[in-house]
Amino acid sequence: MNDITKHEAPREPAEREPRLETLLPPVDIFEEDNALHVIADMPGVSREGLHIEVDNNVLSLEGEVQLEMPEGMRALYAEVRAQRFARRFTLSQEIDADAIEARIDNGVLHLVLPKKEVHRRRRIEVQTT
Amino acid sequence: MFGDLRRFDIGRPQGLDWVRQLMDEVFPEGGPADIRSVPRGSFPMINVGRTDEAVRVYVFAAGLSAGELDVSLQDNVLTVAGRREPAAEEKAQQTHFRRERPHGEFSRSVALPDGLDIERAEARFRNGVCEIVLPKREELKPRRIEVQAS
Repeated sequence: MNDITKHEAPREPAEREPRLETLLPPVDIFEEDNALHVIADMPGVSREGLHIEVDNNVLSLEGEVQLEMPEGMRALYAEVRAQRFARRFTLSQEIDADAIEARIDNGVLHLVLPKKEVHRRRRIEVQTT
Repeated sequence: MFGDLRRFDIGRPQGLDWVRQLMDEVFPEGGPADIRSVPRGSFPMINVGRTDEAVRVYVFAAGLSAGELDVSLQDNVLTVAGRREPAAEEKAQQTHFRRERPHGEFSRSVALPDGLDIERAEARFRNGVCEIVLPKREELKPRRIEVQAS
């Protein structure tokens, strides 16, 4: 018991130090035309500030919020309190990672994740006997 | 670089907001709330900052463009209203897994400080963020007072 408190006490301030706060962008995900579509709200993120990566079947979306703010500005009221959006999803094997397309328009990211050819939905004919 | 939102640093980070929302639901606030207040984080999110010259309002309205956001000011209350269309039209062939992005009509108001020159207000849209600059009236800007030696 004593051990636990000893470990916990000094750790607390250290943990607070790297203040890399991120915002979780709201997403819509749906499947259509043999592809998964991911739509994420990332206001303030431009094409240059966007970073999309697929590593080991993990899709990470990251975006840096770039706003013009004059020097010496103080907050009166703030709901957005970080300058980075980040969200990660695990993909299944059926996604063709090389064919992922992305575009960002007015702060809305649209990703198209096509399925591999072999995993596409097939219609099975029911034959009459 | 002043693209730094962390200067908007009052209180807890946004990532904990769901905890707060949950707590608010379970233990509703006893004290009086502002009559126009909405739950924190409603669409669109709003930041308000102040410099010596102006008050700047940032409306985080992703997916909207300049014509689609209606900004109006009455007395000191700024109202942003509009409508966001769903990203893709519904089709029979769609299977939805997540639907977190709000859509439809919205309207939000924030109270701003006194003494703004509404006539000179400007707004512009960039990457889904609308920035509204409301200059302070001349007589309200901070002034330096010379201390004279007697």
